[in-house]
Amino acid sequence: MSAWAFYLTTIIVYGAVDAMACLALNYEFGFAGISNFGFIIFQSAGAYAAAILSMPRAATSNGGFQQYALGWNLPWPLPWIGATIVGGLIALPFVFLVGKRLRGDFAAVGLLVSAVLLNVLVKDYVPFLNGSAGISIVPAPFQSIWDPQVLGYQFVYGGVAVVLTVGVYFLFRRLTESPYGRSLRAMRDNDIVADSLGKNLRVQRATTLVVGGMVAALSGAILVGFISLWAPGAWGYAETIVLFAAIILGGAGNHKGAILGAILVPLGFEEITRFLPPVANPTLVPALEWVAIGLLIILFLWFRPEGVLPERRRILSGVSKKDAAVLPAEAVTSGQDTDALIKLGNLDELNFRHLLRLEDVVSDHRVILSTQGLTKTFHGVTVVSDVSFEVHQGRVTGLIGPNGAGKSTTLAMLAGTLPSSGGRVFYEGKDITALPSNERAKNGLVRTFQLASEFKKLTVLENLVSAIPNQSGDSFRGAMRGRRYWGREDKANIGRAMEVLEGFGLTQYADAYAGGLSGGQRRLVEIMRALLAEPKVLLLDEPMAGVHPNLAHKIGDQLTRLAEAGMTILMVEHELAIMDAYCDPVIVLAEGKVLAMGTMAELRANSEVVEAYLVG
Amino acid sequence: MSSFGFGLITAAVLAIATVGFTMQFAVTNVLNLAYGSVMINSAFVSYYLNVHGMNAWITLVGAVFTGSVVSWALNRFIFTPFQRRNLAPITVVIVALGVDLIGTFGLQALVGGNYVSFRLSPGSEYHFLGMILSGLQLIILAICAVVLGLVHWVLKYTRLGKAMRATSANPNLARNSGVKVQRVISTTWLISGALCGLAGAVFTMNTGVFEATSAQLYIVLLLAAMFLGGPGEPYGAMFGALTIGLATEISAAYVNPQYKEVFAFLVLLGMLTFRPYGIFGSEKTN
Repeated sequence: MSAWAFYLTTIIVYGAVDAMACLALNYEFGFAGISNFGFIIFQSAGAYAAAILSMPRAATSNGGFQQYALGWNLPWPLPWIGATIVGGLIALPFVFLVGKRLRGDFAAVGLLVSAVLLNVLVKDYVPFLNGSAGISIVPAPFQSIWDPQVLGYQFVYGGVAVVLTVGVYFLFRRLTESPYGRSLRAMRDNDIVADSLGKNLRVQRATTLVVGGMVAALSGAILVGFISLWAPGAWGYAETIVLFAAIILGGAGNHKGAILGAILVPLGFEEITRFLPPVANPTLVPALEWVAIGLLIILFLWFRPEGVLPERRRILSGVSKKDAAVLPAEAVTSGQDTDALIKLGNLDELNFRHLLRLEDVVSDHRVILSTQGLTKTFHGVTVVSDVSFEVHQGRVTGLIGPNGAGKSTTLAMLAGTLPSSGGRVFYEGKDITALPSNERAKNGLVRTFQLASEFKKLTVLENLVSAIPNQSGDSFRGAMRGRRYWGREDKANIGRAMEVLEGFGLTQYADAYAGGLSGGQRRLVEIMRALLAEPKVLLLDEPMAGVHPNLAHKIGDQLTRLAEAGMTILMVEHELAIMDAYCDPVIVLAEGKVLAMGTMAELRANSEVVEAYLVG
Repeated sequence: MSSFGFGLITAAVLAIATVGFTMQFAVTNVLNLAYGSVMINSAFVSYYLNVHGMNAWITLVGAVFTGSVVSWALNRFIFTPFQRRNLAPITVVIVALGVDLIGTFGLQALVGGNYVSFRLSPGSEYHFLGMILSGLQLIILAICAVVLGLVHWVLKYTRLGKAMRATSANPNLARNSGVKVQRVISTTWLISGALCGLAGAVFTMNTGVFEATSAQLYIVLLLAAMFLGGPGEPYGAMFGALTIGLATEISAAYVNPQYKEVFAFLVLLGMLTFRPYGIFGSEKTN
């Protein structure tokens, strides 16, 4: 009986520790899209930190048979708190890896290698953490007044571990179900686009790694206090893969899925092997366990990539779940047939000046955006060469040119998505060449993308609301203050997005995943989203590409109205008919250079332009 | 100076492995983290041929064949189907990690956890320029030199090489220009897999004793060499491998040899942080 009770307490502690770790990794991977292949570093750092903070000085402990740093002999809960802080601090150097620009898989490899490196270092450098033998006889909390081997103690320990895990669950839920969590998921789905809408990727990723690292470290501290030893063998880089397997199986982007995964994979595998009959070959069972983990990952990613408990779709529009249009996240029903049926709603009745916060804009056709000698070279090939032009406030300016003329590259340099190789960009009289793209977006310089760029696993409404600037719940601190702090404002933002959605006639798709819409609908979502970012200058990269001509003209009409309301628009397009109808003036680019500028009528009279573009 | 000799061997083996690894990345954009497990599996095939009395050259052919076929199959039946689903690149990397676990530990379950070694005579020792190399090591060096020469010839002077470079630069453009991209990719995986198998065999012949998990850390050297020269650049891989191979062995002679991999780690992290496209490379378009 009592053997089973002790076994039960062990399971409770291990289960809580694994669940806590999976919740943290899921927060990083499933919500923020950071593939932290070095996750085990954080759990391990917490375990070591808690150990050496709670142990006496190395020379005095048990005749000094182990060597380690610190040895501060701190009473509980200080070692756990210290471990949590260490977990957060250790995340900071990795911010350089996961920061803004590096490909996700490259960063992941960097983290994986870091885990391997740190394991080797700790193993080989004995004075720091006692090398490969690891640290043992770590004191359990309060062991001087309560014997840790007593069942009561172990149940209390398990209880504390469970309570802390539940606390962590609510902490992460508070973060992910806020406007801030929406921004994290937007970053996960498409970081370049999130950046172009004003999200600070570096800060978001750094905060995520720090918070995730702190929780991971706490889980390590709880574990080491219970098992009283920690050694490099326990935290090989592959342990992280086990946690990934747990999350993939349980359901990435779902907190309950993470807990389920923790119970099924790390805990389940550990426990099942206890009941296997002994085999002659000691490596056989562990080896087969690893094979099973590998198979689990591959089979789940193939047959059920969303996991047992998929990410929950967030219904924001207020309609009941049943009524909301159900669209899958991936199935693309593209094609102009569906798009021809798109009918815009009451767009003409929308008050853009009010809805898009354009009230303060002075419409005076001044130069609002300009470039001087803008240049871009890739691999020594000059794509954009010495481009200088001006964009006037309150006008729809067109940017045309044949394929490869450098239109999209120019637009990307204006928005800051691509750094320029030379020249300057001025916005509202200020030199913004060095300003990062998210800052430009915050200042009202917002772009759209040529290729589909919706946040796939966000609903249409979430896509729209995520773009709204200055949300008080769209920061770590704001999210922590809870719904009471940001709820009312978020409701107003949702209302505003619904109004725009209604104008574009897509209300019935409000709660559908944006990834499931048709090509034309997704273009509309992108335009709406850019509008809700409250641009002063809107940079559109072929907004009509792949859109049914009827719809294209309806969009064009609205662009004119937007300009009348005070918005400045620069539009890349190669449909001449669109340029003719809506753009004045038009800038012609050819082979990376400005060829001419003027009204379409003037350009048609220019033989050079006609030769370079209008004919060929 | 003797460490220079060791470094040369390490570099030569690493060069073969890295060129294969980087070619896979170049044409399919996959960081094949299962590469080490294919290497060690090929090495074991080679080892069993050796144990059963086969000639040394036949054992090498066995490794080359295994690496080639296994790599091709991995790409054809696992990586390509996953990529067709239009998933984030990281998904394929996670899949590769899963494959690595299956490959490495499946092998371990099969052959057990014991260390084995080839029954090869190291040959007589040769001294020159202050280096001491065994006959076996000289042969390994010669094989590596010949193979790298062949790779150079294929890349530079054959239609296949041209098609590979085109596919690597821009698969869509290559397809539109009449390159049979799918066939080029398959061929590349066959060739790179052959390099992988060869690297596995000569790596284990050179280290002497090995077991199923011996190549697990090798991926770090591979990645360091690849990122140093620029991902997807075969010539960069050769340069990176030479630098990493020499530097790890020479540093091991002066600092604690236990830290010899640390240098490679630091290079890799430094490259990822500051120059992820290699010291010569620049950001790719698109």
